[in-house]
Amino acid sequence: MSDVPLKNPGWAGNTGEFDLTEEQIRGEDFVGERPLHGGHSSVSATMPYMLIEKNPEAELFEGEYQERLKKILTRYPKKRAALLPVLSMVQELRGHVSPESMDRVAELLDLSPAYVRGVATFYTMYNKRPVGRHLVQVCTNISCNLCGADEVLAAFLECTGTELGETSEDGDFTVIEAECLAACGFPTCVQINSRYFENVTPADIPEIVKHLRAQVKESA
Amino acid sequence: MAYPYVSDLEVRVISKYFGDPAHRRIDTYVERGGYKALEKALALEPDGVTDEIKASGLRGRGGAGFPTGIKWSFMPKEPTRPHYLLCNADESEPGTFKDRELMRWDPHQLIEGCLIGAYAIRAQHVYIYSRGEFFEVNQILARAVEDAYAKGYAGEDILGTGTTIDITVHQGAGAYICGEETGLMSSLEGDRGEPRVKPPFPAAVGVFGMPSTINNVETLATVPHIVLNGGEWYRQWGTEKSPGTKLFCVSGHVRKPGNYELPLGFPLIDLIENVCGGIRDGNRLKAVIPGGSSVPLINAEDARNCELDYEGCVEVGTMLGCASVIVMDHKADIVKQIRRMVDFYAHESCGQCTPCREGSAWTARILRRIEKGQGTEEDLDTLMEMTEQMVGTTICVLSDSIAAPVQSSINKFRDDYLELIRRGDQAGAA
Repeated sequence: MSDVPLKNPGWAGNTGEFDLTEEQIRGEDFVGERPLHGGHSSVSATMPYMLIEKNPEAELFEGEYQERLKKILTRYPKKRAALLPVLSMVQELRGHVSPESMDRVAELLDLSPAYVRGVATFYTMYNKRPVGRHLVQVCTNISCNLCGADEVLAAFLECTGTELGETSEDGDFTVIEAECLAACGFPTCVQINSRYFENVTPADIPEIVKHLRAQVKESA
Repeated sequence: MAYPYVSDLEVRVISKYFGDPAHRRIDTYVERGGYKALEKALALEPDGVTDEIKASGLRGRGGAGFPTGIKWSFMPKEPTRPHYLLCNADESEPGTFKDRELMRWDPHQLIEGCLIGAYAIRAQHVYIYSRGEFFEVNQILARAVEDAYAKGYAGEDILGTGTTIDITVHQGAGAYICGEETGLMSSLEGDRGEPRVKPPFPAAVGVFGMPSTINNVETLATVPHIVLNGGEWYRQWGTEKSPGTKLFCVSGHVRKPGNYELPLGFPLIDLIENVCGGIRDGNRLKAVIPGGSSVPLINAEDARNCELDYEGCVEVGTMLGCASVIVMDHKADIVKQIRRMVDFYAHESCGQCTPCREGSAWTARILRRIEKGQGTEEDLDTLMEMTEQMVGTTICVLSDSIAAPVQSSINKFRDDYLELIRRGDQAGAA
């Protein structure tokens, strides 16, 4: 086996020589996407995706999402414990958690708006303001940093034409730094929406960005 | 072959099927002997299971190394209130990437371990608190839990024994501190992940105010193997005080970074040189952090004398932590890396305790000043004095975790700091 890790097309730790295609690894056969209603109640709290198209006006807790909410509530002895999953659900639908959404959640779970705000602002994964269609999170913590994460971050900023933390003019990209993503052996790790990209080097970035732009076109 | 890298020196107990996507399926898992340990455990008394784990000497793999069997035995024997088992899958210690691998390659091994653990502590509900960032891993885990329910391994009347154990996968939302056991409990209850004062300990007052036990993913993943093969069997590896095998997450400047399962007590230098193919680009070893960012770093000389078990690491002035070995070569910028870690802690401090909240931010600022060439030698004394006041003065050990890398780097790599300081002086004079 070569000393140099192979280029990584995606998340599955396939830095080695897997025979499987990306589709086989990611496809329904092995994993499957979670249904909107959350599947079995034991795992209904583990859903949310970061979707490309984010609709800040989306209706909350309707249809299948309401079903998911009901299932979540059955899994905890106290209603308040559903707060994190519910906030995640809001973000899945709307792309970020606005003060107005927080108030809705507070009402739903019989909590004070101030309490919900206190919790929502504690956790970094809740976007407190709208983000681009692709949220690019580059790990710059120690293990990735030792292997050149700063250059990867710089290359993303250059290639997408954004400033750190800002959203590009076309609304396609928000690039931020992330803390350790727990993929330290596959540096640099970059999380883009729901997906991990591993072993990313500055040279890979034009291709990744092209791929992401194509995804935006497809979803439009 | 070919989970990113494998080595002949490995003893693959829990990582045997890393790299084999078929193993995620319940049918494959059962074909390969899966859920046999659960069957065996359910035929024993709960205390019988705990005794087997005690006999194995298994120590918690989350960092503290507390004996798992003893932890389980703290739980009340006659439940009068609901008991909970919490699986800590909020892996976020910089340098650590083993739990994600365990969950995505072998989710059923973890589920089986959770069910056995719950049975042993008389819990009827397991919460797996997984990282929110693990979208894809959580999908795999979710599918596996659904399958376990469908096949009767989880839920009501497991395998017809009348035992009921539910599993709920819960997702965090991006906060390092939720990996601290009481912080995790706060978070699971729908609160900010602020750690709580101990005592009371979780076995008395845990999540939702009920007796709870919290174990790391790797600990629970090991449990089925011990139950199936016996505690004595597990002791064939490792040392007297640190028995068994452990996943070592190696990152940084080695040729073959990755997860390697080795017997505890394995020499650190052999791990770097023989298992991981040595330092990359033919560079020289400069420093190693053997247990994740929260433990003191050591220099190349200490690394040569370090045996990777809980005691061996203490002997060279560091800790095994969660065995996340971060390797730095002679070109690494120690001051920058320490500053980056302190930035991380400053970001992740929950803000409850003053020494941590203020100390982390000021430590980061002083380090940044030194990094820019605007520091003085007195800054090093200030850092030492300040970090000393951050140890043992707070509710949890996040504050101590800042002190460890700062103090050890100033002690072991003072010249790196002085070089930056002098370079700044010269630039100022010019």
